[in-house]
Amino acid sequence: MVPTSYFVLLSAALFIIGVLGVVVRRNALVVFMSVELMLNAANLALVAFAQRWASANGQIIVFFVITVAAAEVAVGLALLVAIFRNKRTTDIDEISTLKG
Amino acid sequence: MSDLNWIVALIPAFPLLGFLLNALFIRRERAAGLIASGAVVLSFITTLVAIAVLASLGGDAEGSHATRIDFVLWEWISIGDFRVPFGLLFDQLTAVMALLVTGVGSLIHIYSIGYIHGDERPVRFFAYLNLFITAMLFLIMGDNMLLLFLGWEGVGLCSFLLIGHWFDRRSVPPGIVPGEAAVKAFVANRVGDAGMLLAMFAIFSNFGSLNFYDVDPAGDGRIIYGFLSQAANLGGARIDLGILGSIGVMTAITYLLLIGVTGKSAQIPLFVWLPDAMAGPTPVSALIHAATMVTSGVYLMVRTHTLFDNAPTTQGWILAIGMCTALLAATAAVAQFDIKRVLAYSTVSQLGFMVAAVGMGAYVAAIFHLLTHGVFKALLFLGSGSLIHGMHENQDMRKMGGLRHTMPQTYWTYLVGALALAGIVPLAGFWSKDEILAHAWEANKLAAVVLIAASVLTAFYMGRQMALVFYGKPRDHAAEHAHESGPVMLWPLFILAVGSVLVGFINLPSGLGLPHGVLHLLDEWLHPVFTSPGSVPHEALPFNWAIAIVTTLLAVGSGWLGVWLYKDKVASRIKPGKDDPAHYYLGDIWRGMEIAWGFDWFYDRAIVRPYRAVANFLSSVFDAQGIDGVLVDGSARLFGRLAQWFRLSQTGYVRNYALVFLVGVIGVIGYFVLSR
Repeated sequence: MVPTSYFVLLSAALFIIGVLGVVVRRNALVVFMSVELMLNAANLALVAFAQRWASANGQIIVFFVITVAAAEVAVGLALLVAIFRNKRTTDIDEISTLKG
Repeated sequence: MSDLNWIVALIPAFPLLGFLLNALFIRRERAAGLIASGAVVLSFITTLVAIAVLASLGGDAEGSHATRIDFVLWEWISIGDFRVPFGLLFDQLTAVMALLVTGVGSLIHIYSIGYIHGDERPVRFFAYLNLFITAMLFLIMGDNMLLLFLGWEGVGLCSFLLIGHWFDRRSVPPGIVPGEAAVKAFVANRVGDAGMLLAMFAIFSNFGSLNFYDVDPAGDGRIIYGFLSQAANLGGARIDLGILGSIGVMTAITYLLLIGVTGKSAQIPLFVWLPDAMAGPTPVSALIHAATMVTSGVYLMVRTHTLFDNAPTTQGWILAIGMCTALLAATAAVAQFDIKRVLAYSTVSQLGFMVAAVGMGAYVAAIFHLLTHGVFKALLFLGSGSLIHGMHENQDMRKMGGLRHTMPQTYWTYLVGALALAGIVPLAGFWSKDEILAHAWEANKLAAVVLIAASVLTAFYMGRQMALVFYGKPRDHAAEHAHESGPVMLWPLFILAVGSVLVGFINLPSGLGLPHGVLHLLDEWLHPVFTSPGSVPHEALPFNWAIAIVTTLLAVGSGWLGVWLYKDKVASRIKPGKDDPAHYYLGDIWRGMEIAWGFDWFYDRAIVRPYRAVANFLSSVFDAQGIDGVLVDGSARLFGRLAQWFRLSQTGYVRNYALVFLVGVIGVIGYFVLSR
């Protein structure tokens, strides 16, 4: 058995990478991908604990997370398309009309 | 006839009605003049009727039971123990004052019809004249200090309004700004009023009442007790002033009243408003600043004489102030070249005589002089008004001369007035002034000498004035073409001239060999007032031959000297715009006399300028920069800066928001993790 801590550490690392991606990258698509990465990191942690405690609960939650992620991506990409149509750019720094 | 007591309420009601009509409804000059004069004439007639009613009231012949009418209109203030009725007192003292006010007032109103003809605002003038008479009547008819004070303030207000009648003129001869003169009069009066108010507080707190005499306003036995009869009962009560020692209650009250008197009756140190008050129309000067308002201070002291009888320290001060004012103002009157300013300083001087008489306890003499002075000073002022009109609004005596030929009626009446003022027998001024001098000789030799000196100067400046105005040759175009005034203005002069001759006979002294029945008429009439409970009895003095002869000779001599100097000796050196020739001989002394020894200059430097400086500082620095700048604009700017600072966080960048979100999440989780 692989020790659960390895999985959790990997999950944490993936999560942090995702967070950094959201905060640092300017391309909107990359930000979305980073968000997906964060969600998948959470999924990994859930599955790891499901295996550890031999419970199916963790895996059921993963189902929910994946569904939510999918719905969220649909909405997010629709927003991105709408913004791109307006601004002709995916650079999120350009969308600063709430400034001030 | 006591059921006719209500008639005293009509006396002030007529002029009040006249004021209301003129202020609210009347637009034309003719109607205004007739209504105003009619109101005061009616008031005069009512006064005569009221005197008849008063005389018919009971009271034994000894005069120990004081008879008076005290007609209460309603209970004005009733707060616990503090009860003040709106009561109109009509006793012997009020009666003679009311006669003067309404009688001379009527003549002045009638005269004004002629004088104010052609003015820009005649209706306003007549309205305020009537309001003044109303206020003055409330002053002398008030049966308590509060109603008296209402009238006191009222006459001060009307004085302000009437002095500033030509408020839109930048300056009137001899260079006074009417608006400023009006403010000066009011402010000087105000200082006195502060003393009056404090005196009223002291009277109430020590005696429990502001009423002069006992009165039962509602007729139900709840009497408001008068304080005058209690004056001797305070014993040696003293007020503790901490480190300043202590002062007797009576002394304190009378000092405070004296402050009020110096303001209203133009004594040292508050007399400075009266010469400038000549900026008002001449009838105003005659009525307010000669016959009535300025005498209210003397009336106040005589009315509350029981207080003064019990405060000998204050009486000394009153005498000192009176005699110094009399002499100082007389010196100032000698050096004026404006005809009305001479009379103004003369009034201040004569008021000094009256105040000095009060200081000696010679109350009847003071009232006697008040009455005679009211008549002949009004005559002189109205005469000067006639001269000013005849000289086409010129008031400078250096431009006049020889007017006895072109204005004969004014000349003869003015001569009568001048002789009366100088105290030449048998005119009115002789009797009243001599009575004061006789009392002075008994009371305080120094005071007598000072007052005699003032009398000598009085005769001198009147002689000087007569010479400059009526004798000699005209010195100006206007004087050559002067015209006499019309009958509306001349008849009051005639009547007042007759009055100046006769009114002296109301208080003839004993010792002249005259039949007993005509002596001391005023004394006897006023007897009940000065023998009311609490009074200290004063004896009427017999005629003092020595004083009378000496002062009359001195007066005749100095009067003749004044005439001779300015008619013959230096007449050729008097020119419009040039200094009086006496300046050459007396130099700085003459300058000092001209400016009344620098009171105005001192007040200007010591009070007016610092006050204006403080006001300017407060308005342009403290208010504009301090309050507006720091507090108002400053707080606005502060919030602006804060808002700008907060606004820095609203970058509009999604990534910044995400970062903040992240930091918050870390913070919360960290808190939960670390607090286990």
